[in-house]
Amino acid sequence: MKKLWKRLRRRWQLERDLEDELRFHLEMKAEETGDAWEARRRLGNVTALKEVCREMWAFAALESWWMDIRYAFRTLSNNRGFTMVAVAALALGIGVNTAVFSFVKTALSFDPGIERADRVVLVSATDALGQDELSRSDPDLRNFRSQVKSLVSLAAYRLTPVNWSDNSGLPERYVCVQMSANGFAVIGRQPILGRHFEAEDERSDATAVVVLTHRLWQDRYGKDPSILGRTIRVDEVPRVVIGVMPAGTRFPEDTDLWIPLVSGGVHSGDPALFGRLADEVTLAAARNEMDTIARRAANKSPDTLKGPLIDLSPILKMYGLYHARPLLVVVLCAVGFVLLIACANVANLLLARSAVRSREISIRIAIGAGRARIIRQLLIESAVLSFGGGLVGWLLALAGLHWFDASMARFPKPAWFDLSMNTEVFVYLAAISIGTGFLFGLAPALQLAKVDVSNAIKNGGHGAAGGMRGRRLSNVLVVFEVTLCVMLLVGSGLMIRSAIKVYGTPIGVNAANVLTMRIELPEAKYPRLDDVISFHKRLKTRIASLPGVEASALTSNLPVYGQMDFTCEVEGVPPTDAGRLPSVGGLVVSRDYFRVMQVQPRRGRVFIDSDEVKGSPGVIVNESFAAKFWTGEDPLGKHLRLVRDQAPRSLLTIIGVIPDIHQDFRDPLTHDPLIYLPYALEPQRSTFIVSRTRVPPTTLVNAFRREVQSLDENLPVYDVRSLEDRITQHHLNIGIFVALFTIFAAIALLLASVGLYAVIAHSVSQRTREIGLRMAVGGTSRDIVWLVFGQGLRQVVIGLIIGLMAAFGVTRVLRAVLVDVSPSDPITFLAVVVVLMLTGVLGCAIPARRAVRVDPVVALRCD
Amino acid sequence: MGKEKQPVGELVQGTLDMLILKTLTRGPMHGYGIASLIQQVSDEVLRVEEGSLYPALHRLELDGIIDSEWGLSSNNRRAKYYRLTALGRKQLAKEASNWSRLAHAIARVMEMA
Repeated sequence: MKKLWKRLRRRWQLERDLEDELRFHLEMKAEETGDAWEARRRLGNVTALKEVCREMWAFAALESWWMDIRYAFRTLSNNRGFTMVAVAALALGIGVNTAVFSFVKTALSFDPGIERADRVVLVSATDALGQDELSRSDPDLRNFRSQVKSLVSLAAYRLTPVNWSDNSGLPERYVCVQMSANGFAVIGRQPILGRHFEAEDERSDATAVVVLTHRLWQDRYGKDPSILGRTIRVDEVPRVVIGVMPAGTRFPEDTDLWIPLVSGGVHSGDPALFGRLADEVTLAAARNEMDTIARRAANKSPDTLKGPLIDLSPILKMYGLYHARPLLVVVLCAVGFVLLIACANVANLLLARSAVRSREISIRIAIGAGRARIIRQLLIESAVLSFGGGLVGWLLALAGLHWFDASMARFPKPAWFDLSMNTEVFVYLAAISIGTGFLFGLAPALQLAKVDVSNAIKNGGHGAAGGMRGRRLSNVLVVFEVTLCVMLLVGSGLMIRSAIKVYGTPIGVNAANVLTMRIELPEAKYPRLDDVISFHKRLKTRIASLPGVEASALTSNLPVYGQMDFTCEVEGVPPTDAGRLPSVGGLVVSRDYFRVMQVQPRRGRVFIDSDEVKGSPGVIVNESFAAKFWTGEDPLGKHLRLVRDQAPRSLLTIIGVIPDIHQDFRDPLTHDPLIYLPYALEPQRSTFIVSRTRVPPTTLVNAFRREVQSLDENLPVYDVRSLEDRITQHHLNIGIFVALFTIFAAIALLLASVGLYAVIAHSVSQRTREIGLRMAVGGTSRDIVWLVFGQGLRQVVIGLIIGLMAAFGVTRVLRAVLVDVSPSDPITFLAVVVVLMLTGVLGCAIPARRAVRVDPVVALRCD
Repeated sequence: MGKEKQPVGELVQGTLDMLILKTLTRGPMHGYGIASLIQQVSDEVLRVEEGSLYPALHRLELDGIIDSEWGLSSNNRRAKYYRLTALGRKQLAKEASNWSRLAHAIARVMEMA
């Protein structure tokens, strides 16, 4: 290193030093001999001597690289048009790739803050066994745990959102995990403050405790270490904070706090099981062992146990977009196609230019430049181009991500979502920049270096560069571009068709100007349903009196937010298979729900005051329900009877039929048969409050919160958003994919059409003389147009055919995001053919026009 | 990198290097001084080609066998002084022993009856 530095320093001073040293020598010699001329003669050729020394000190190789780079810059800046098009194409390709990569990376590389997370597995029982067999009765679980050898420990957890209140700040809704005491052993991280659970904490008579995530500790308590020992009200149950876990530890995703899974309690839902694989035990081996144990334990009814009983899956599946992995790979491939098209495009531009450059290259070869040196020079030019593209592409990616982040800002952000540019992204950016440089630069460089020197110099470049071979290569590149472009177009076409279906299906409500929020009344404070009813009543009165509020209602579910399940007897419908009653979806709504949603009944009426009276029998169904159970009959006045825990409840009468409102969040097209129960019949602890407002809904958020907290200052209001926002977010899933694929396909189409145009235009300019000759011997403009179109469209058609076949083969990977559109949807394929042929015609039209205008006299005389 | 083969023969070049190194054992010296000293000590038999002296000095310096420094000469002029490095001493010892072996061998051949 020191040596290198010395050398560098010397290199800069060399000229002066050498001069001084030699002058000193000459002066001494002259003094000695008294003859300056003799001294100089004795020294010999000073220039040659200097040259020898200079070369010794110089970084000959390095300097020649530097020269090549400078030369590349000069050449490129002399061809501004070419450089700009090439850099723009590369920037588009590299930019979208970098942006997509940083998104995919962040979605897949989420760190759950679990020790060796790859060894932690989720344990689930299949239907045959039933999850409760495994985990509901704790003695069973303990028994099961003691038998399993392939897991170091087996723990249970259950997600339960909770209300959190203390005397510091507003009450909040947090994601809480009830976890068995050994859960932290599976997580494998130690608390940074205090302790985590011990076995005693699981006892129902133990002091209630809570462990915080670092995020909660930081956000709410500003990392105050005195938090330990403080008492917090969690769902109105006082709990003592015993510990804080380190930053980043979250299990499962988006958890805020942990409380012990207390045995013997009454719970909603069965806990899930997770455990850590013992050393050197594979997932499959553990699955086998546990399956055997479960089979033995469930021996009572062996007939019902078919197939595997236990399933194990990596815990990482729960984090980020792990489940969407295949889809992300598809997106990465698609965006890779865009980059390949950009490369093919630039390669074609380079090939076109090589005709012009063959003369320059020939001269360089003729005066002694080695072919390797020529190839190096050309590759350096490519590298300069691709670095330019990389730089601009990086800026594009930054802008794109910024825009994406900003447009997502109004939606809740998952914990893994972090689009900052980190080292990995930069490495990726650098890698694809260098990679593309070689990809598009190599073939044209090799082509040029093979130039026939004498011919090229003689002909002044015309028709010399690679001749047939060059043209064939550029034709292949065009076909390649068109092929990839077709695949992207088909992909985006299918997405767009899905999106049209999804967005085109009305939700069934007027979502504008509706504010929605949630509250949940904890049992500890509101033990009886009457308390719940009275709270809701008081709240409704208060909210109704707020200025700007037109109408308000309570509902168990919002549109596109799912539904509740009810079992019921339906009048005139015999129970289907073996006495099983139909299970139907339903919502519990208060009187004004349909007024808030601006839904008019198709038949009958909506709820009125008298339906709010306890025990009133009115119920509303949607059209799908009426159509399914009472086809062609009048549903009004028909009867329903809910059945709960095998016990029939009071008889209900249909008072109205409303148009279908979309509730299913998975399937955006079909409507389930739904019943709407009056609030008085099934009061809910956890409800949405929906209000139609006369002002922009979000301006009322604080007023709403105030009203709730004036009734109960420890009750958090959460999930406060406008209904419009929710529905937009619901559409986001398909929306993002449509946007991505449309962007990819648009860029691909643009690049491919520019590529086609460039090749055809270049070929026309190369064939000017030939065209002139054809016209001179009587060719009509029509012949000439055919000549040009024939050449261009042949490649388009070949690319189209290959692309369509390839697309037909691979579009099924999109099935997961397509909605009601077949992966081989003929309309989409047809549309792609039309779009592409139009582009092809356009790409050929301008060069064809130019060809027709060729003046034979000028063309034949030119050079 | 940069190390060009001199047009002179191996032996001559090797000898010049050795002579330079040997001369420098007397202490730091400038190029002119080295040439004069070699000439003087050898009773004018060995005349150092100045055209190859300076490239040789630069090459030796590059290889870390000698080091250089600007200083003032006895007549108060700025001159570049060369001196041996530790590596240079080792190199000299090696070349000296090589040389004596070679000289003996040549002498024996020449003394052959």
